[in-house]
Amino acid sequence: MSLGATLRCWWHAVAHRKRVTAEAEDELRFHEEVYAEDLVRQGLTPAEAARRARLEMGPPETHGERYRSAVGLTIFDELGGDVRFGLRSLVRNPGYSAVAVLSLALGIGATTAMFSLMYAVLLHPFPYAGSDRIMNPALINEDEPSQERWFALWTTQFAEFGKAQGIESLLGFNNKSEVITGKALPEDVLAVYMTENAGQFFGVPPLLGRMIQPSDSAGGGQRVAVLNYRFWRRHFQGARDVIGKTLELDNTVYTIVGVMPQSFAFDDTTGVGDVYLPESTKPRIAANRGVPAFFIPWVKLKREVTAAEANAQLNALVHSFARQNPRVFPTKFHLALQPIVMPYAQNTGRALYLLLAGVVVLLLIGCANCSLLLLARGTARQQELAVRSALGASRWRIVRQLLVEAMTISVTGAALGIVASYWLARLALELERSVFPPESVIRVNLPVLGFSVGLALLSGLLFGLAPALRLSQADATQRGLQSGRRIAGQAGGRRLQPLIAAQIALTLLLLATAGIAANGFLEVMRAPLGYQPKHVMQAGLLMHFENAKDWSAISPLQKRAAFVEQIRQKIADIPGVLSAAVGNDATPPYSGQEQKFQLEGQPDAGDSGPNVRVEFVSPGYFSTLGIPLLQGRVWDEAENERGDGVAIVNAAFAREYLSGSAAVGHQVRMPDLKSTAPLVASSAQSADWREIVGVVGDARNDGVDRPVIPAVYVPFPTFLPPYAQFEIRTQGEPMAYLHSVREAVASVEADEQVSNGADDLEKAIQRDALWSRERLFSILFGFFSGLALVLALVGLFSVVAWSVAQRTAEFGVRLALGASRGHIVWVAARTAAVGVAMGIAVGAATDFLLVRMLSAWMNSSSAGWTSTVEAALLLVVCSAMACGVAARRAAGLRPTEALRYE
Amino acid sequence: MPERMELPQGALEMLILKAASLGPQHGYGILLRIQQISGERLEILQGSFYTAVYRLERRGWIEGKWGESENNRRAKFYRLTAAGRKQLKSETEKWTDMARVVAAILCAKPEEI
Repeated sequence: MSLGATLRCWWHAVAHRKRVTAEAEDELRFHEEVYAEDLVRQGLTPAEAARRARLEMGPPETHGERYRSAVGLTIFDELGGDVRFGLRSLVRNPGYSAVAVLSLALGIGATTAMFSLMYAVLLHPFPYAGSDRIMNPALINEDEPSQERWFALWTTQFAEFGKAQGIESLLGFNNKSEVITGKALPEDVLAVYMTENAGQFFGVPPLLGRMIQPSDSAGGGQRVAVLNYRFWRRHFQGARDVIGKTLELDNTVYTIVGVMPQSFAFDDTTGVGDVYLPESTKPRIAANRGVPAFFIPWVKLKREVTAAEANAQLNALVHSFARQNPRVFPTKFHLALQPIVMPYAQNTGRALYLLLAGVVVLLLIGCANCSLLLLARGTARQQELAVRSALGASRWRIVRQLLVEAMTISVTGAALGIVASYWLARLALELERSVFPPESVIRVNLPVLGFSVGLALLSGLLFGLAPALRLSQADATQRGLQSGRRIAGQAGGRRLQPLIAAQIALTLLLLATAGIAANGFLEVMRAPLGYQPKHVMQAGLLMHFENAKDWSAISPLQKRAAFVEQIRQKIADIPGVLSAAVGNDATPPYSGQEQKFQLEGQPDAGDSGPNVRVEFVSPGYFSTLGIPLLQGRVWDEAENERGDGVAIVNAAFAREYLSGSAAVGHQVRMPDLKSTAPLVASSAQSADWREIVGVVGDARNDGVDRPVIPAVYVPFPTFLPPYAQFEIRTQGEPMAYLHSVREAVASVEADEQVSNGADDLEKAIQRDALWSRERLFSILFGFFSGLALVLALVGLFSVVAWSVAQRTAEFGVRLALGASRGHIVWVAARTAAVGVAMGIAVGAATDFLLVRMLSAWMNSSSAGWTSTVEAALLLVVCSAMACGVAARRAAGLRPTEALRYE
Repeated sequence: MPERMELPQGALEMLILKAASLGPQHGYGILLRIQQISGERLEILQGSFYTAVYRLERRGWIEGKWGESENNRRAKFYRLTAAGRKQLKSETEKWTDMARVVAAILCAKPEEI
């Protein structure tokens, strides 16, 4: 027997249903006629022959059905009938169906949305081939494990590194800020130089042209450039004929050979490049200064190699590098291969898992709602089921029919939910772009679809099974036959209580967790920053140290300080700019260099002593940022120019190290505040004693949510890196002044330009990973718990309303016998009320256990009873309202009418 | 007229296969053929006959095609497929084998045991 023939036959019978049935009838009719003719030949009259033939063959109309049952299609026909019946009864009870379908659609939609988000963010965020095998080697200093370092390899080591056994391929890259030259105003771009195997390493097909390929290293490097999608849109307005055009970077002409697709945003951790260039074209000036060229490596492991094995191999290798060059490695360290998704998994992963748990709870509430509705409606259907059973339907047949009806609801809900999820997931992504990898694109893909369909079937089974089993019980069907009219109170109502309780308990959990999330966010939002970010812009510039001629002009300390001051003055002169200050390494909320320090009269604590944050600023810095001066004074221009001898500390410093006594007049020094690096200039006595001339308020310097670290402000000419940063307070929208600021900079030195990172300080806070994570988390959780509350209340309402409708006759009797209306309302709502009370008790108990665990997991400090109590109160009030409104009808009954009620 | 016999389970399908193997024939023809060969001794219910035919068709052992009957009427003609031929052969072997064994047991005389 061949499966193919069976399938063909079924397909035929299903697809050409009418024709197949008609043919079966034709065949039988033919048989009947020929048979009758034969009978006539045997001597019967035609009429008698026809009668005999018909008698023996049976009516031809039944023949189609016989055919279908012979080829084994009965089950499909019956299921089809169940589905049609289910759909019809959905249409017949639109209110009931809408509530059931929407309950599930919301649950499934939210769950699918969260799953697509997780899929996009955690399971498959990168478009790179074999991205789960791509590792980022991080150097972990064992003395300070919290401080991760980017691991850079010199070119010679890189070659050796690539030979390690577990590595399938190795990508080396480094970033360099370059300038588009040959235009009116120079523009900064971030160039990422990559080893020429990049195309094969990533395996991402370019949008246009080609990726960097090995032949680009020929002849000392082909000057070709591949563009990042966003840069291409920004700079070339997305022109498709860009291939073959040229781009001048730092006075070198590159030919554009390719554009990468939007999903390729290499790489988010060290900076998304605007242009990708072959490594061999990188200018070797740095090497001439005695610093060898280096690479940051990304490692793609072989399929069969585990991360642990590769880790062991590479650690041995890197430790041998460390023995050759001990100076650049920490004394005790190890190499950790981190999957490239790790930064996101760490920061966003937990919140997403918790949100997924939240939406699963939401889905459960939706399922419970459907179960409640099915059970409540089932009592009304008992008569129908009893008739079915009396006509010979087996229990299995009834269970199947009820399950198919449940599935009809769940599949309809799922279809709606999938549509909603697409929108929901995008909403989350658009809401907080910075929380997710830039490559993440939300799309409905096969795993997500499979997940939703599975979810739909599972939930159909989940909420359909209990009512189906319950309603198909022999005694239930028996009772159904007796009478449609019930007088006595029903035991059936009590069976709804566990469902109601479960629903309420889950809702309470969601509400309480949402409360914690919202509190966490409010805490972050309300935290005093200590500075005024509104209408302040931060802009920086990188000096041209590659160009020997330009550099010699500003290399000495005084000249460089004057250069920076000159630019500051030009910016301050822009109409509309209220003030401009220099603030190197001093842009809140993350600011300052970690330095050791010593107070006069105290011994040098050496390496074990505490650190402070050192920030390099001009005297106008405090007023520009709105940081209040609490004691003493700010240094003057002359002191600023000299750089040495003065310092200002923040309140945290005074509190911590000078025990609140008058800090002004104390002496402080940072022994390591000097530099021998070729590009950094420091003043003569930069590491010597400084007098504390003032104390300023605490401005956040370790992120918006963490306590302010003691900080020391020193005049910026003390320590001059080859860059300068300015804080600019403007009248109105600060970014509108960016062009004027660019012009001001260019007016001092035509080739200098503002770096890309210029930003509005207020917007920067809102984009801060923590801020946006908390916000996203509390918005989503609030949204989901709100949905849960609505679902639970709708469920509650429908149960009470239904039982009122069912028990109208009973209430009539009670009223006739003199029950008060208040009593009637209580009787009507009692089942639900007891369920709610049980649910709140269970929910609160569970919450008590969960809350500690969750707050530890979410690093949230705001664990407590308040949000649970608030949630419980909210639930009590809302439930009372839902029950009361639904039960009100019972109180309005007139006994005479109610008694006649069928 | 000799007594009519009822067919054991599964035998009808085998007979239909055999009848169809003698050349394409419509349902009525197949039924007639079986009854003629059996000397009108088999009792075949119309309902079970067509059920068997459809089952054989589903399994791909016979194949139905619409054509013209001897008196110019539209009828569905069944023909044995290659798979059906193989099935008929193995069924026939099994059946004769079993019949022989059963007969041998039934015909055994006391002295042979």
